[in-house]
Amino acid sequence: MLEIKNLKASINDKHILKGLNILIKPGELHAIMGPNGSGKSTLANVLSGKNGYEISGELNYFGKSLNEIPIEERAQKGIFLAFQYPTEIPGVNTSNFLKTSLNKVRKAKGKKELDTLSFLKLIKEKSNELGIDEKMLSRQLNVGFSGGEKKKTEILQMKVLEPKLIILDETDSGLDIDALKIVANGVNSSRSKDTSFLVITHYQRLLNFINPDYVHVLADGKIIKSGTMSLAEQLEKTGYQGIK
Amino acid sequence: MLNFKFNQNEINKIGQFSKKEKDFRLKNLLYFNEVGFPNKRSEEWKFSDLNDIISKNFKNLKIKFDLPKKQNVEFIKDFEHNYIIIVNGELSESNFKFENKSKIKIQSYSDVYSKDEEKKNPLIFLNNALSNKGYCLKVDDNYKFEKILVIYNLFTDDLNENILNSRNLIQLGKNSEVHTLTIDINKSKKNFFNNVFETLTLNEASTFKNIYLQNNKSNGYFHKYLKSKLLSDTNYSSYILTKGLKFNKIDLEFDLKGERSECNLKAASFINKNEHQEIKTRINHYAPNCKSFQKVKNCVEGSSKGVYQGKIFVKDVAQKTDAYQLSKAILLAEDAEFDAKPELEIYADDVKCSHGSTSGSIDENAVYYLMSRGLNKEESIKLLVDGFLNEIVEDIKNNSIKNYIEKKLNY
Repeated sequence: MLEIKNLKASINDKHILKGLNILIKPGELHAIMGPNGSGKSTLANVLSGKNGYEISGELNYFGKSLNEIPIEERAQKGIFLAFQYPTEIPGVNTSNFLKTSLNKVRKAKGKKELDTLSFLKLIKEKSNELGIDEKMLSRQLNVGFSGGEKKKTEILQMKVLEPKLIILDETDSGLDIDALKIVANGVNSSRSKDTSFLVITHYQRLLNFINPDYVHVLADGKIIKSGTMSLAEQLEKTGYQGIK
Repeated sequence: MLNFKFNQNEINKIGQFSKKEKDFRLKNLLYFNEVGFPNKRSEEWKFSDLNDIISKNFKNLKIKFDLPKKQNVEFIKDFEHNYIIIVNGELSESNFKFENKSKIKIQSYSDVYSKDEEKKNPLIFLNNALSNKGYCLKVDDNYKFEKILVIYNLFTDDLNENILNSRNLIQLGKNSEVHTLTIDINKSKKNFFNNVFETLTLNEASTFKNIYLQNNKSNGYFHKYLKSKLLSDTNYSSYILTKGLKFNKIDLEFDLKGERSECNLKAASFINKNEHQEIKTRINHYAPNCKSFQKVKNCVEGSSKGVYQGKIFVKDVAQKTDAYQLSKAILLAEDAEFDAKPELEIYADDVKCSHGSTSGSIDENAVYYLMSRGLNKEESIKLLVDGFLNEIVEDIKNNSIKNYIEKKLNY
């Protein structure tokens, strides 16, 4: 589904990713761990198409290069990034926003846009499934949300948009155990043979709930080690120093 | 640069006046002819050089004497309302079917005498000299309107380099209440200049609410000066919701003369390319325990300009004044301009007064966030702009009126 070959990225002449390789097949869940400043968020941003980076190397999604594809089209093609720090959008109602977003994605897929009633039904169903309070939906998007509420909203968006490639950028950071379970539950219930995950995290905590197929260690812009869950367990014990 | 002057004979063409009134008009005309349209050298006009704008866009400015034909108005069907129809500044029709008509007086108005010496504004001289139309609305003591009053403010398609000078007067009796919605409807294709001088008096414990909706475009150039007097326990609130015009200056002055009077003003404007809008407010706290609040939001596109000049004046006796002013602007292009000039002048020592002003470009992170959810750049910016401006509209209490306005505005 996603093939990253020798990916390099720099911003303002600062080299961040220095030749990164990953292959993610449909249905797989890959976790990326790494110390602060290793390039984890840059990887997430580059995959989503954020402007401002100088990029070289290959980014292939279902066999086609993503390099020239703008942000919104990547989203429409099924790439979803759950943000580390979701932006506050004042004056925009969460539910209305989600409807606009969903219909954009549906339209791109050639599906009929949902009317308000069917949308409300869907969103009610998804939020109940995740155990998210519906009241959040009538508030302004992310405005005044607690850290946990923001992350839960990201997961709700993920459930509603039904993407194919899901990138979670430290979605577990700063969450209490209940919120963490909502995130894990969101991930587990979205797993299928057609859906792949790239989960960026600092902690083994979330991985215990979601069982990654692969764990990679990112340091100084490169994958320095790949393995399975046991690698995450080792990291937890020895820290990144122990890997080098 | 062209210099627009008006011949004294024009006054005779407007109507028959007593010697006293004719002298007053003549005196004002001479003032105007001497100073001309205001330019940026005047502090009050430093951000809006009207003389320059008029010179560049008008070859001629003629007074319109002939009466307009009866106009067809597309009435609002979304909510029940009373209405008056104003055509080129002149009262043309009124209908107060939901009210006790004996409590309301509405008539044409052309009484030009103004006790306030408007020394600084040449447009008021011009209005004093040439005003020949307008309306006068008086509401009796203790009468509260059942339904909103919609003021359909029409400009006809035969306007062509005309200048319209009109004067309105609104007077609310003690303990009365009126809500109004003013809508500009422009049918003109050619240039014209509209110069309005309005006075509003709120007698004790009366309430006046107004929504000004400007959503349709024209080649008109607009100036309005409102002078309001608020006696004790009165409540004034106003929403200014505009989508931009070639030139629009809304100059509002409030004298809070009675204790516990309150003045609330909220504005949301989207100023398109090659447009110019200025809102100017002056709140004079002349009595203790009064409140005033202004929140002005602007979105400005390229090659256009938005201005907010807001002054709060607190006299020494006006203790316990609570005054707040906030201006926020989003600039949508490199060459968009927004000027804010907040001013506080305070002579009382026990007051709460504050102001804030921000302007900047659109939040790039927010645009990125929305785009990552499948919206393109234009759609993302539109959503953010809507969100920014809708905060003002959201505040309107009456749902059917709010829905109507949201439908009409769609920034």
